[in-house]
Amino acid sequence: MLTSREIVSTLEMLQSEHLDLRTVTLGINLMDCVSDDLEKLCRNIRDKIKTLARNLVPACNQISDKYGIPVVNKRISISPIAIVAAPFDARQMVRVAQTLNDVAAEVNVDFVGGFSALVEKGLSNGDRSLIEAIPDALAGTERVCASVNVASTRAGINMDAVLMMGEVIKAAAEKTASQDGLAAAKLCVFANIPQDVPFMAGAYLGIGEPDAVINVGVSGPGVVRKAIDRALAQNPGWDLGQISELIKRTAYKVTRVGELIGREVADSIGIEFGAVDLSLAPTPNVGDSVGEIFQSLGLLSIGVPGSTAALAMLNDAIKKGGAFASSHVGGLSGAFIPVSEDLNIAEAARKGHLSIEKLEAMTSVCSVGLDMVAIPGDTTAETVAAMIADEMAIGVINHKTTATRLIPVPGKQAGENAFFGGLLGESVIMPVNNARGDNPFVLHGGRIPAPIHSMKN
Amino acid sequence: MKKAIISVLGNDRPGIIAAVSRLLYENESNIENVGQTSLQSEFAGIFIATIPARLSFPELESQLAEVLDPMGLQVHVKPMEPRHEATNGTVGESFVITTRGPDQKGLVARVTEIIARHQVNITNCQAVFKGGDDPNSNIMIYEVDIPPQTDQQALFHDLRQKGAELKLHVGIQHRDIFMTLNRI
Repeated sequence: MLTSREIVSTLEMLQSEHLDLRTVTLGINLMDCVSDDLEKLCRNIRDKIKTLARNLVPACNQISDKYGIPVVNKRISISPIAIVAAPFDARQMVRVAQTLNDVAAEVNVDFVGGFSALVEKGLSNGDRSLIEAIPDALAGTERVCASVNVASTRAGINMDAVLMMGEVIKAAAEKTASQDGLAAAKLCVFANIPQDVPFMAGAYLGIGEPDAVINVGVSGPGVVRKAIDRALAQNPGWDLGQISELIKRTAYKVTRVGELIGREVADSIGIEFGAVDLSLAPTPNVGDSVGEIFQSLGLLSIGVPGSTAALAMLNDAIKKGGAFASSHVGGLSGAFIPVSEDLNIAEAARKGHLSIEKLEAMTSVCSVGLDMVAIPGDTTAETVAAMIADEMAIGVINHKTTATRLIPVPGKQAGENAFFGGLLGESVIMPVNNARGDNPFVLHGGRIPAPIHSMKN
Repeated sequence: MKKAIISVLGNDRPGIIAAVSRLLYENESNIENVGQTSLQSEFAGIFIATIPARLSFPELESQLAEVLDPMGLQVHVKPMEPRHEATNGTVGESFVITTRGPDQKGLVARVTEIIARHQVNITNCQAVFKGGDDPNSNIMIYEVDIPPQTDQQALFHDLRQKGAELKLHVGIQHRDIFMTLNRI
């Protein structure tokens, strides 16, 4: 027998605190689709995705209805296209992206991720073609997301690839200038990319993964924030150890939902269940913000002194609570601080409480990195590459995933507004300080060696 | 040995369970299950006990009444009957139906009429009425077991339609979401 308190608190989480399942992502291995005939490859990809993903959206909707919890996004992640389509050139790779976009629309998923390459130690022909194809592939499609892993703790940082990505990001943004550089918002550059991320734009299906697998990403910043507010209203004297314990317990609840829904979707479509990504993922809605948690913790805004410590505590408590709630935890698993996707964080940037420098510092204690950061359109490719390199270094040295999703907004300056729409949100364009344009450091190229502590064997 | 159901109703006070259980013990009876609930100041308890064959149900009732009457409590004893068909253990799926909105006359009757019409058994029912405009302060909660032969969609449709008519927010959610969120 349930207590009325249990029922009422659950209803509150679902109805006024934005508890939802952010994404159910179906991973599909495309290695058995390979062919040296482009038409055949595209046909194989279409057939395999349609066969496996046919029931994904109806199953998610049915289960969402059964439990009264929204499944906000249904997505597909695939094997890295740089490997699947390795024999082809950039123009042909764009055809593959269009095929992915078409089939994503046919099975009604929001995004398909995996237009990806793993180049931390060097570039193969397929990798080069894919990276070259990214601007056209992203500008010419709506649902395709791309990612490139340019660094890892084991390999170091491939600075040649970092420089290429600076140029690719600029080109992708330019090709979608009328949409404030939207294509760049669908492109992540990674260090230590996990093989089972369900979140976009970084989702792809790793080589060591099953033929098909369901990974889910939970949400819930609103639930955490309200729990803190309620507890502090009743117990103003609570110390940070007690608050951390509360966040842990709340993260447990949020993650349990992901586990429940993920397993049921997997069962109902006959596909293996993989992992829960226990991240706190915001949306550009009031009450669904990671930034608001900082204010509940007593800070003026995210970005002010104390923010890194608060984020470190938050991130750690989420991991501890979430790990207990799930049999398999994967993906990024931490708090996200994407600027434009979080109303409160975007506001902090607009008011000047949050700078790129502080954001970068904060990414050393949470998942992702400089995420959904709009920068001036005249930022040079070299400067973009240097910003990527800094973020990659944090991941490589700290044995963690970091990423950048930088959008140099064409024709706009710092202080102007960039609008991306939907879950991607909008944000003020943040100034990139002390960048003189050229950057001989990144032009040296080569590979920054793996750190000494990578040698663990 | 035979099974008796003993129900006790009256103003809540210390010593009710003790009085019933002592008398059963003195009569060489064994309590198998006890359930009790208190609503505001009222106590309701139900005991299932195996009693010796020689002890008649009216005899047990009169012995209990002798003890409980002075405490202001009513008691009723009856033989335990075999399970009724509607609750014969072929449990389908457990759902929690909630209606949120201000209290009104006939609220429970109109909702439970639909549940009954679909041959669905209510396993637990709670009311949380604190008054005011906050819908979350005025909730009726029905835990139900929906048998496999029931047309779930038709039931849900009827409930939602009635909810709209009565200007209530109707929630129909599988019980597991509440268990998952609240219990380890």
